[in-house]
Amino acid sequence: MLAPGDLRPLVEVCDLVVSYGAVRAVDGVTISVAPGEVLGIVGPNGAGKSSLLAAVGGQLRPTSGQIRLDGVDVTKLPPHRRARRGVVRTFQDTSEFGRLTVFENLLVAGLGMHGASLYAATVGARAQARRTATAAERAAELLARFELEPMRDTYAMELSGGQRRLVEVMRGLMREPKLMLLDEPTVGVAPHLSEQLRREYRRIAASGVAVLMIEHVLEVVEEVSDRVVVMDNGSVIAEGTYDQVMQSQAVREAYLG
Amino acid sequence: MSFSSLDFYLATVVVIFGVDVLSAWGLNLQYGYAGIPNFSFIVFQAAGAYTAAILTLGPMTATSGQTYVAGTHVPFPVALLAAVAAGAALSAVIGVFAMKRMRADYQAAILLILALILNQFIVTDTSLFNGTSGLANVSRPLGSLVNPSTTGWQWAYAALVWAICAVVLFAVQRLSRSSWGRALRAQRDHDAAAAALGCNVVALKMQVFVIGGAIAGLSGGLLVFYLQAFNTASWGYEETLAIFVSILIGGVANNWGVILGTFLVQIVFVEVPNLLPQFGYIGLVDALEWVVIGLLWMAAIALRPQGVIPERRVRAERFGLPALRRALPAATAAAAPGQQGAHEERLGATGGASRR
Ligand SMILES: Nc1ncnc2c1ncn2[C@@H]1O[C@H](COP(=O)(O)OP(=O)(O)O)[C@@H](O)[C@H]1O
Ligand SMILES: [Mg+2]
Repeated sequence: MLAPGDLRPLVEVCDLVVSYGAVRAVDGVTISVAPGEVLGIVGPNGAGKSSLLAAVGGQLRPTSGQIRLDGVDVTKLPPHRRARRGVVRTFQDTSEFGRLTVFENLLVAGLGMHGASLYAATVGARAQARRTATAAERAAELLARFELEPMRDTYAMELSGGQRRLVEVMRGLMREPKLMLLDEPTVGVAPHLSEQLRREYRRIAASGVAVLMIEHVLEVVEEVSDRVVVMDNGSVIAEGTYDQVMQSQAVREAYLG
Repeated sequence: MSFSSLDFYLATVVVIFGVDVLSAWGLNLQYGYAGIPNFSFIVFQAAGAYTAAILTLGPMTATSGQTYVAGTHVPFPVALLAAVAAGAALSAVIGVFAMKRMRADYQAAILLILALILNQFIVTDTSLFNGTSGLANVSRPLGSLVNPSTTGWQWAYAALVWAICAVVLFAVQRLSRSSWGRALRAQRDHDAAAAALGCNVVALKMQVFVIGGAIAGLSGGLLVFYLQAFNTASWGYEETLAIFVSILIGGVANNWGVILGTFLVQIVFVEVPNLLPQFGYIGLVDALEWVVIGLLWMAAIALRPQGVIPERRVRAERFGLPALRRALPAATAAAAPGQQGAHEERLGATGGASRR
């Protein structure tokens, strides 16, 4: 079997800097993730993990540095254009569309369902109806796979924290993504759902998706990640397998203060 | 009140009701579906009204007794379409800076201030639309079909307005149920997540802002041909508040509910008090009316910003999925609340009563 690291990276982040005014939240980070690989990012609060993820997802404009997706520079692309190139993400605070049902949350994420074209939605309704049918089918499959069928007509705002997380992940999967960005994806999730989610993250990676995951809980990082990057103060202080980074002197210092 | 004046009054209420329902659908697209707090909505109605008026008043002459720009004579349907275009065009111009990504409260403030400034501008520059006196003597259209000075004409016009309402309802329903409408609602609930799923949020907002503006322009055109006059007092910012309250009461993102909300607010609150015996000083009842609308608005925003009547739930069955297993018998459902099926059906039955 081919080890994930042997493949050409799907996403490459080069010397990335993200600043909020004078604060350099991300200060020259270089990382890459290969298809099928889960890269875990750990580090204390305020280390710059979420800012890094937002720069990759397009939610934040980096001050300098480059982000390449499949070899193409996407640094200046707005988030919706990156999404259409196969980038999906979850947010640290769950991002469900509260007044849409679970099913509609999935539908709106379907390929070609982003509603940019009024023409498609009205005059070209035939082609759009076909896309809707395809998306509905995929949504039904995901509902079955994540055992959320009974909740499909429930408003997303009525779900538990863990169920919201599931919906976010399912929404991402609606798009047949190449890169999935996860920001603390097990926080606030009940234990049995957390277990289900961790299995899913492995399964998603196994299907060839590159996964970049910020995670606090070290057991989750150990279980899910192929490789781990430790950040502190905006910089990468260690990189390697879980065991390697946990033995690093710099990491011990960062964690023990 | 004699029969003919009652007849006159009723026809007027029916026309105004139709115009207000149109406005509410336009604003509902923008606010209810897309979350855009368009506190300058009434400005776009005014754009339509003024446009329709000057396009049918004819060139200004020494005996016009009013000053205005670009007076000409075009047929009624052309003037009405021009009113639509005026609402849309003004929305496009304002949308360029007001639909940028920004916090909703800033956006609300910008749009409200814009409404105040534009009104003041038209008050001050009397050469455009005759300032506070406004435009008068707009001719009633279709006079060759029905004598315009009869209540028969009024009822015919009311029928026309409601026929147009039916067409607009069909259009807004179709739009709001499309994937475009779903994307609008998604970005309303979480814009960053919608963008991260491929929605071009700024473009979506711009589109709905222009469509809503077109509907506002249409409502203004229809209004001015009925009233035959239009001035700066017809489009104070508080008119937008009344439309907002209609939507909040009747149905955020619910185009049928909006009809009910408009009836309650615009007819029961705004029109009926005109019939009641007046008390206090002149204008007191009017002022109280706006106090009540202001209070209703604050209460609705504070208590139920998503509307009093919940948004219609779009069920997966509509997309060809097999029906969920029916609810367990009530006793079983109560005994096994942990069962998701039973839980879902309970939520369904209460229509989302557990919303935050
Ligand atoms: N919107 C913001 N404005 C200003 N500073 C911010 C903002 N978001 C994050 N920061 C700062 O940037 C640093 C990194 O934050 P963040 O990326 O959220 O870290 P992490 O996800 O690792 O906890 C912190 O010092 C935080 O205070
Ligand atoms: Mg974070």
